[in-house]
Amino acid sequence: MNRREALRQTALAAGAAALWASLPARTWAALAAPADWSAADEALLTLIGDTIIPATASSPGAGSVAIGRFIITQATDCYPPQSVDTLRRTLREIDAASRQRFNQPFPALSVDEREQVLTAYEAAPQSGAHPFRLIKELTLLGYFTSEPGATQALRYDPIPGAFHGSVKLAPADRSWAL
Amino acid sequence: MANHPTTPGAREHTFDAIVIGSGISGGWAAKELCEAGLRTLVLERGRDVKHREDYPTALKNPWDFPHRNKTPRAVATANPIAKKCYAFDEATAHFFVKDDEHPYVQDRPFDWIRGYQVGGKSLIWARQTQRWSRFDFEGPARDGFGEWPITYDELAPWYSHVERFAGISGNYDGLETLPDGEFLPAWEMNDVEKHAQGKIMAAFPGRHVIQGRCAHLTAPQPQHLAQNRGQCQARNLCYRGCPFGAYFSSNSSTLPAAAATGRLTLRPHSVVESILHDPVTGRASGVRVIDAVTKQATEFFARVIFANASCLNTNLLLLNSTSTRFPAGLGNDHGLLGRYVAFHNYRGSLYASVEGFADSYYSGRRPTQLMMPNFRNVRKQETDFQRGYMVFFGASRAGWQQGNYTPGVGAAFKDRITRPGPWGISMMMQGETVPRKENHVRLSPDRKDAWGIPQLVTAIGYDDNDEKLMRDFLARGQEMLEAVGAKKISARDSKQNPGLDIHEMGGARMGHDPKTSLLNRWNQLHACTNVFVTDGACMTSTGTQNPSLTFMALTARAAQHAVAELKKGNL
Repeated sequence: MNRREALRQTALAAGAAALWASLPARTWAALAAPADWSAADEALLTLIGDTIIPATASSPGAGSVAIGRFIITQATDCYPPQSVDTLRRTLREIDAASRQRFNQPFPALSVDEREQVLTAYEAAPQSGAHPFRLIKELTLLGYFTSEPGATQALRYDPIPGAFHGSVKLAPADRSWAL
Repeated sequence: MANHPTTPGAREHTFDAIVIGSGISGGWAAKELCEAGLRTLVLERGRDVKHREDYPTALKNPWDFPHRNKTPRAVATANPIAKKCYAFDEATAHFFVKDDEHPYVQDRPFDWIRGYQVGGKSLIWARQTQRWSRFDFEGPARDGFGEWPITYDELAPWYSHVERFAGISGNYDGLETLPDGEFLPAWEMNDVEKHAQGKIMAAFPGRHVIQGRCAHLTAPQPQHLAQNRGQCQARNLCYRGCPFGAYFSSNSSTLPAAAATGRLTLRPHSVVESILHDPVTGRASGVRVIDAVTKQATEFFARVIFANASCLNTNLLLLNSTSTRFPAGLGNDHGLLGRYVAFHNYRGSLYASVEGFADSYYSGRRPTQLMMPNFRNVRKQETDFQRGYMVFFGASRAGWQQGNYTPGVGAAFKDRITRPGPWGISMMMQGETVPRKENHVRLSPDRKDAWGIPQLVTAIGYDDNDEKLMRDFLARGQEMLEAVGAKKISARDSKQNPGLDIHEMGGARMGHDPKTSLLNRWNQLHACTNVFVTDGACMTSTGTQNPSLTFMALTARAAQHAVAELKKGNL
C-alpha cells in the first residue's frame, strides 16, 4: 500500500470530521483566564516568554501563542504545588532586577535591555534549583508544542511515511518537532 | 458434556470454546479456534475498543492536548502506579487501568500495569518481537531451576505461523542466540548507530549488534492487506492505537480475523469470576461471569476453555476457581499455583554523548531500537550470576529540549536550539530473572474488588542474582561505550519496582512433571485438561527476549492441539 492510499484509508476510517470537531481549543488564549493571577502578571510572563523565544524572520515568538496563560495553566495543573510560588518569585525577582539595572519595570524596557536582564538573572548563582529553569522549561514546552512553534520554528511531519537513517543535514535545516 | 442443561438459557450460553481475555494471546486463541470451526466466546472484562474508531487521540497534534501530552497532577495522584509507565500520558491514559478502580495488595512493591479493554495491552505494548533460542528453552534445566517441556524446534513452526500473519520486521542475522524468523524488511540504522555497531563488533567478538525486530508492517504482504492493515508510516505514536493498522494488535488483526468466520461472540464488560469444575466429568464445564456494569452473575459453558486474562489475572482466576476437587484453586494439587513468578530486570541503563557526525541526521520516527542478543552464560556458566541480558540501544540528536540546559535567551538562542543538537547514545538492559518459589501471588483473605472477587496479593522481588546481573550489564555497557568513543558516560540504576517491566511471567508454569508444574507441554492443566493457559502465566522461565511473540506462538500451537483433541473425542 502506498502512502497516499494509506492516508486516504485513514481519513475515511478515523471519521476525520468528527475527530477534528472534538479537538480542544488550539491556542491557550482560548482557555479560561487563570484564577489567582492578575492580568498584569500573566502579561509579564508572556513578555518574559517572548524574550526567551522572540519572533524571528521565519517564525513568530512565544508571545504569539499566549505563553503566559500556558505557563500558569501547566504549572498549576501538572507541576508540584510549589511551582506556582516559584513562578511568582521569579516574576518578582526579574522585575526587581529590571528596576535595579535600568530603573524601570520590565515591560518598559527595550528588547535588548530585557535580554540583558534575563541573561544576567539566569547567570546569577542561586542556592538550589534556579527558579528561571521552570519558566524557561515551560516557555520552550509551550512554544515548541504550539502550532506555530512546531510547524514554523521546527519541522513538523506528523506522518513521515518512512524512516531514513542517514540524511545529510543542510545548513538551514531545523530539528524535527516530534 | 454435563453442561448444566437445567440452567435457564443454557443453550444460548453454550459454546464450543471460551477464551478469557482479548489481549495479545486471547486474540490468537480466538482466531485459531474460530478458523478451526469452533463457535467461540471471547470474554473481556473491559469496554469494547473498535479498531480505528476508538483511537480518539491517534491523529492529534501536540497542540491539541490540553497539557501538551503531559500528565496532569490530579491524574498522576489518582494513578500512582500507572503513571510510572513510560507509555502513560495524556494521549494514552484511556488505555490504562485506573489504579483506584482496581486495587491490589503489595506484600512487596510491585508495579502492576494493566489494560482492561478489548485488545488489552496489545494496544499499548512495545511491539518488540524476538524468537527465543534453544539456549533459552534449555537454560532452566541446565541451571537447575526448572524444565521446559518443549524445545525450540517444536515451537519454531508456530513462530513462523504467527510471524507471517502478524508481520515482523527484521534482518536475517543468522544468530543461534536469536533465531531468524519470517521477516519483513528491517528498519535502518542511523550513522552513529552504524558507527557504534562497527566499533563494538570489532572490539567484542560474540557481541552482535543488530537492528531491532518489531511487529510493524514495513512492507505489507497480501495476508496483511487482506486484514485491511497498511504500511507503517514511521509516526511512532503507536500507544494511541494505529489508524493504519500498521502494528499488530488484537483489535487490528486477530479479532477481526476471528469475527470474519462468523463464529466469534465477543462479550465486553464480562469479568470472569471463576472457572467451573464438573466433578462428574473431571473437566471444566464453563465459567462464571460478573457483568462489569450491572454486577449480575451469569454462566457460560464450553468444552474447551482458554485462560488468557494476562499473567497475574490468570493466576488470580485459577486461584479463585475453587471446588470440592480443587479447594486451593483449579489444577493446584501441590500449592504451586501462583508461585515461580518472574519478570525482566530493566534497572540498568547508560547514557553518553558522541562527538562529530554534525552533518548527519535522519527523518521519520523508527518504532524500534538496535539490540544485542544475550552473550552471557549462553553455552555454559561463565559468571558469578545466573542467566543473562539483552541490550537495547539507540543514538539520536538532541531536539529543542536542549534549550532546557542551554544558557541564553533571544534570537540567537532560538536559532541555536531549533537546530539539531549533539548526538547521544543510550543503552538499556532486559535481564532474565530466575523464577523463585517465594516470588508468588495469592488471594487476599479479606479484601475484595468492586465485583466481589478477592484482591491479588503480590509478593515478588529482586534477589542478589538480579543485582549482580545488573552490575555486569553496567560494566559491559561502559566498556562498549568506551569502544565506541562516547564521552561523558553515565550509568544509572533506576531501582524500579518489579512489574514496571510489564513482562511478568509464570505462576502456572509448564513442565513434564505434574508434581512440579501446572501445565503440560500443550499448555493444558495437568489436572483438568480442557483448560489451556497460554498467556504469560504459563512461562517456565523468562528468557531475555520480549515475551509476546512467544505467547502468540504457544497459543496458536495449543489451539491447534485443542482442536485435534476435540476431533479425536479426547476433550
